[in-house]
Amino acid sequence: MTRQVPLVLCFLFGIVMILTEFVPHSRSQGLYQGIVNWSLIISPFALVLAVATLIQTHWTRISRHTEHWQYSYVVFIGIIIMVLIGVPTFLNNVSFLSKIGLSFGPKSPIFEWLFNNVQVPMDATMFSLLAFFIASAAYRAFRARTFEATLLLITALIVMMGNVPIGDLIWNTVMAWTPWDDVTSTARQWILDNPNLSARRGIILGVSLGVISQSIRIILGIERSYLGGD
Amino acid sequence: MLEKLMNIDRRIIFIAIALSVIIPTLLPVNLPITGSEPTQKLYDYIDALPPGSTIMLAFDYGPSSLAEPAPMAEAVMKHCFDKGVRIIGVTLIVDAVTLADKLMQKVSEEKGAVYGKDYVLLGFRPGVTQVILGMGTEIAGVFESDYTGKPLSEIPMMANITNYDQIDLLLDLSAGSTVEIWITYANVKYGLQIAAGVTGVIVSQMYPYLQTGQLVGLMPGFLGAAEYEKLINAPAKGTEGINTESFAHLLIVGLVIMSNIAFFVHQRQSVGASSRSQREE
Repeated sequence: MTRQVPLVLCFLFGIVMILTEFVPHSRSQGLYQGIVNWSLIISPFALVLAVATLIQTHWTRISRHTEHWQYSYVVFIGIIIMVLIGVPTFLNNVSFLSKIGLSFGPKSPIFEWLFNNVQVPMDATMFSLLAFFIASAAYRAFRARTFEATLLLITALIVMMGNVPIGDLIWNTVMAWTPWDDVTSTARQWILDNPNLSARRGIILGVSLGVISQSIRIILGIERSYLGGD
Repeated sequence: MLEKLMNIDRRIIFIAIALSVIIPTLLPVNLPITGSEPTQKLYDYIDALPPGSTIMLAFDYGPSSLAEPAPMAEAVMKHCFDKGVRIIGVTLIVDAVTLADKLMQKVSEEKGAVYGKDYVLLGFRPGVTQVILGMGTEIAGVFESDYTGKPLSEIPMMANITNYDQIDLLLDLSAGSTVEIWITYANVKYGLQIAAGVTGVIVSQMYPYLQTGQLVGLMPGFLGAAEYEKLINAPAKGTEGINTESFAHLLIVGLVIMSNIAFFVHQRQSVGASSRSQREE
């Protein structure tokens, strides 16, 4: 029963949603809108589930003293502080708290300060580290060992130089004697417009066909891995 | 020597990259920026909109990648406010609301735009696909109030806006896969015109949609931001960013070329040494 009910629901909703795409009748569109509204209501529960999983994972780390378990306390401190400041907007009506300058919700100055001065720099720092690792990895691994690797290397160098104005500046200065201007950006654009576009379209078509076939398998109950278990 | 060059200490590369970013930031340079067609198309589309038109700006990027999409958003907002085009801000990424709010306030103060009349920030709702589909029927069905909690019915700008039919363009400023979701559910199903401003790493994924016309324009990374700033004659963070990025790219290209020269010379020497030893045997 625990497996049959989800399978039946999946089949019914899958078929209904497909049919509503092809039936422009007002009742069909009303049904479609109703289902979209339901899923809008269900979506926030995914966030609740995510927070619950996060708490469970870090609580397990602390209780089992796994590697770097101390950092899990930082996760809890972060969650508690942001929730205490960001969520209870009803406290804005408490005159005592307003008098001492405390406000709550996403527009609270404390919330905004923490976001702008803690989360933004930390996130930006993590992402910025990529530049260093990419440079180091490119130096070590980007070598013309084979014909294919050489093609990839040349293409990458052209796109990299064509993506920044210094590429055209160098070309127009060093190759000023040639009749062609802005060759690096033109070459980059040609690569993006032709080989890149063709390859991407092939990938999109392949992925789309895969998604369609997998969706049919799920609707018909052939693919059941989403139910968990074996 | 060649061995050393090929296996250079990565910390030296790290320092070189840091310097290639820090020096141009401290000593700004002005490199000539040539416009590309996708950015020009977006500019032309917005420029052709009559005053009173409405565009939706989707701030679909988080703090980690704001360096590229934020200057794009700023440039487009300046252009819109100058033209009298109204802006509805929305996001599918929870982190982006505060970023969007800060940026919209900054640009509106600079341009004298009024909240509720010239622009509005709806904020975030969970459920990416459902949010896009829901707004196609009724925006107020998804966002009953704006980011500050004010009901949409009390916002003058939203009085005549029900769904995508009253939106002239959606510009998705993205650092992920949201552009494709907007195209699939808002363009294909509801016919909403879509343009994108994306980070450099996902630019190549956008070209099939540009060719089919599903994207009316595209701002590719820092370059797109700098190009748009040039088009509106207001150089700002995008122009600074692309100038700095130029030197980082130049350094990486130089390092790759240097490592390949060392690799080839080393390979040739190894082949020569092995053939000499074979002859001696």
